[in-house]
Amino acid sequence: MILTEESVKAIKEKVKLYPQRKSAILPALTIAYRQVGHLSDEIYQEISRATRIPYVEIAEAATFYTMFPKAPRGKYLIQVCHNISCALLGADSLIGYLEEKLGIKKGETTPDNLFTLISVECLGSCATAPMMQINNDFYENLTRAKVDEILEELKAKA
Amino acid sequence: MATETKKDTRTAQQAPTVTLTIDGQEVTVPKGTTVLEAALGMGIHVPTFCWHPKLKSVGACRMCYVEIEKMPKLAVSCATEAMDGMVVHTDSDLVKRGRKAVIEFILANHPLDCPTCDKGGECDLQDLTFKHGFDDSRYDFLKMRFTEGAVHTTFDDVRIGPEIILNRNRCILCYKCVRANKEAFGEYDLGAFERGNITEINAAPGREVSNPFSGNLVEICPVGALTNTDWRYKIRVWLTKQARSICPFTSSGTNTLLWKEDHQQKIFRCTSRRNDDIDDGWIADVTRYGWSYVMAEDRLQTPLVKKEGKQVPVSWEEAIDLVARRLTEIDDTKGNVCIGGLINPQLDNESLHAFNKFMRVTIGANNVDHRLDYPMLPAQGDTAYSILSSQPFSIADIDTSDVIVSFGSDMLKEHPNEYLRMRKAYMFRQAKVFTINPYAVKNADIASVDVVYAPGTDEIVVNAICLAAIEEKLVDAGRAAGLKDKIVPNSAAEAAETAGVELDDIKIIARSLADGKQVTFLVGELVARCAEREPIAAAIANLNRLFGLTDKGQVARLARYANSKGAEKLGLTPFPAPEVKAKLERIFGGWPENEALTTDKMLVQMNKEAINAGLVVGANPLLLYPDREFARECLERLDFLVVCDSFETETTAIADVVLPLASWAEYAGDYVNLEGRTQHAEAAIKPRFHSRPALEIIEQLARAMDKPLFESADERRREVAEVLAAQAVLPWPNDYFEVSFDNAAADSEYTIPVFVGDDPHHAGHLTEKSPSLSNFVSEAYVEMSIELAAKLDVKAGDSVRVESEAGKVIVPVKVSDYLDTDAVFLPRNFSSAQVNSLLMRKKRVNRVKITRVAD
Ligand code: SF4
Ligand code: FES
Repeated sequence: MILTEESVKAIKEKVKLYPQRKSAILPALTIAYRQVGHLSDEIYQEISRATRIPYVEIAEAATFYTMFPKAPRGKYLIQVCHNISCALLGADSLIGYLEEKLGIKKGETTPDNLFTLISVECLGSCATAPMMQINNDFYENLTRAKVDEILEELKAKA
Repeated sequence: MATETKKDTRTAQQAPTVTLTIDGQEVTVPKGTTVLEAALGMGIHVPTFCWHPKLKSVGACRMCYVEIEKMPKLAVSCATEAMDGMVVHTDSDLVKRGRKAVIEFILANHPLDCPTCDKGGECDLQDLTFKHGFDDSRYDFLKMRFTEGAVHTTFDDVRIGPEIILNRNRCILCYKCVRANKEAFGEYDLGAFERGNITEINAAPGREVSNPFSGNLVEICPVGALTNTDWRYKIRVWLTKQARSICPFTSSGTNTLLWKEDHQQKIFRCTSRRNDDIDDGWIADVTRYGWSYVMAEDRLQTPLVKKEGKQVPVSWEEAIDLVARRLTEIDDTKGNVCIGGLINPQLDNESLHAFNKFMRVTIGANNVDHRLDYPMLPAQGDTAYSILSSQPFSIADIDTSDVIVSFGSDMLKEHPNEYLRMRKAYMFRQAKVFTINPYAVKNADIASVDVVYAPGTDEIVVNAICLAAIEEKLVDAGRAAGLKDKIVPNSAAEAAETAGVELDDIKIIARSLADGKQVTFLVGELVARCAEREPIAAAIANLNRLFGLTDKGQVARLARYANSKGAEKLGLTPFPAPEVKAKLERIFGGWPENEALTTDKMLVQMNKEAINAGLVVGANPLLLYPDREFARECLERLDFLVVCDSFETETTAIADVVLPLASWAEYAGDYVNLEGRTQHAEAAIKPRFHSRPALEIIEQLARAMDKPLFESADERRREVAEVLAAQAVLPWPNDYFEVSFDNAAADSEYTIPVFVGDDPHHAGHLTEKSPSLSNFVSEAYVEMSIELAAKLDVKAGDSVRVESEAGKVIVPVKVSDYLDTDAVFLPRNFSSAQVNSLLMRKKRVNRVKITRVAD
């Protein structure tokens, strides 16, 4: 079992909230993701057993939602916006700088499992472009110096 | 593409209607009909990809655009309900432009690899592009290509199931396959994953698409994204012709097409031939892939005759002469009653009738039966079981039933077609479904209540429902009068306890049976094959009488094989229904005088050497009869055994004469499905090697004995028609039956109840010779619940010894995803393990012990 008893219990509670069991798929995936940090076939399997929702329906929903990670990733997920406003203000070079600093390519995780770098569509903060989101926090009006600072800070915290 | 829509006349009469105009013609349709269906019903061509007549509309492909006046945009006709006063155009310029755009959009990522695609020639996308698309393409960029998991790097093909190849590049994401799988079949091994440009159809992660209906997915795919291995790249579709055939493996008689090529005398595939009254266009995998046994190279090629202990090939003349001579000899020296005849109810009407006439006139003995897999058959004709078995049944009536009960039936394994109908009633009309079985079965997911009772307490469960109805006053007191005194135990609570079921569940079922407007009550093989079928049938007759079920629906025991119903109606039993017997007596010019013998009784007589010669046509009793040791002893005692079969089997191995039998695809014949409907199957090819149809063999034999059976083919057909016309339905009695129960379970080391039936991918001993079906399952196994596997400390795939008082087999373990009690299931008819050796014909419930085989 990957899911803890607690998670399974929480998932089962969710099923009771909806007239259709299937409605509990996203809440269940969210609970699993919060516990584990990513999703996998085994997790869909376990959710299926707990909810009696067919396994394939859980896998379908999970893969449809790209924001659920399907493989383990670093403690800090760096999501750099590459959409129009940020792009105009140098998002590409920023991503390049992050790749260089972290020594990984976009989509990869540092060997110490601290940072995963990805780029994403607009995060709704165009006024403060270029920007990125790390886990649940926004970092705005970025410059190379600022990026250095942020990374140092996170490393220190970790 | 289907261009007809068949409407249920019953609902059409009552339902409100709407009137609209399509292409200038007015049409009135039932409310709720889509614009698309209304147009198709008028014979108007509207192109579609994602619409399917038997699935819910999703509007995924937009191909079915029509213009509806006063609507701002083109409308998706498959998802637009027809309304009063609508004015619809299916062929305006706007519609034509819309279709072109849709095709262009669908082709954006389509590889256009028609020359190497197996669907070419029968591809909806190819056809509709020719008809509605542009002549050339505006695209000049690289197309999206799926390569992950490809087994063939040129085509990016992936194998997603034992018989299915998927090519995601060709997929147009109509979702028909996924929808059919979930909606119609209740199967969850296929899905649509990811999103946007990279959306893909695929097997569920880590699984394969191997459900018993998986072949349908290939058939409904409008493009070459799903193809099956038995057909792909063997021949181009335009080089083939089709024979209209009937499924020989199930009792529904689902309609099929056999695709063949005449010069090579070869069959290439089998597809559905939609008949809404029977099959809705879905066929089970056994039906689709079973045909390939016909083309097997190890078919019996010539007659074999045992000479000095060895079977050697001989000519037909020699074999027939020998059989005729030996039968005459035995008849002369020992008497005609010393010859017994068993025939497979998968054979066609005329063969069956000829066999009946041969046994009862040419030989003159009352020793005929077609029920080879039922132990301890009733020794008279007017039993509750015979009455129940003779009841009429209609497949289409399942659709309209609001309450459906399946009792003692593993529907998916035995009656896949009716299983789908049950699902359909549940999915589309919210019918209440109840399953009542001695072990958990797979249809439980649609069941409002899924009752699993203790093996051996079948009639007590039925009594419990009756008692609950009386106690809760759900039925008219006058009607109930007298029942309570005739059945045991005294109260529903006690009955429920004896059967090990929840009283509340029983009450829910009783209430639904009482309230249901149209009830379908189906009784299956677990009852028919039970040695104690009589009290169970009596309990069901009582239930029927108490709730008045036949007055508001149907109560039927479903016939099991392709022509079981035909065999019953043609009187191939020791005790035909009275009117059938009267007809036969007239045709035969009399009736044999000896005591009529059932299969078991014939075997007993063989054992006592009171029957000395046996004629077995198309069957393999050694592998099928539910007591292998007994059957072997009896058959081996015969002086003379003739077996007709398409393959060498264990039964042909002990025969004195073996005659090669042609398969159903090699001659034309009529079959009676479980509803009593007679259907014709055309011949696809000529009999292979030197095999002959059963009818021909029997007629030749009779001629060689100087007693020809029929003057002409016409006479033969007339006789068959006449017998089939006789009333074979026996009336229910006017009173309740006594149902007693004796629950004397003896202590023994054998504790695990065992059920032997068919794997959903096999039917009878022939399908083992189909390579496609063997790709699904090729050997027997023992299926058990997760809990039992844990208790026995075994895992899936482990070899175990399954042992009963009678015998033992060694088989691999299969861990079930639906069994949830200690009962285990073993599939029969596999030569890898003779599971019928575990059974004893007199036992009500056979029990076994299971131990792991040391590696
Ligand atoms: S595989 Fe075929 S049936 Fe399934 S979605 Fe693709 S095109 Fe449709
Ligand atoms: S057929 Fe109507 S949208 Fe596909």
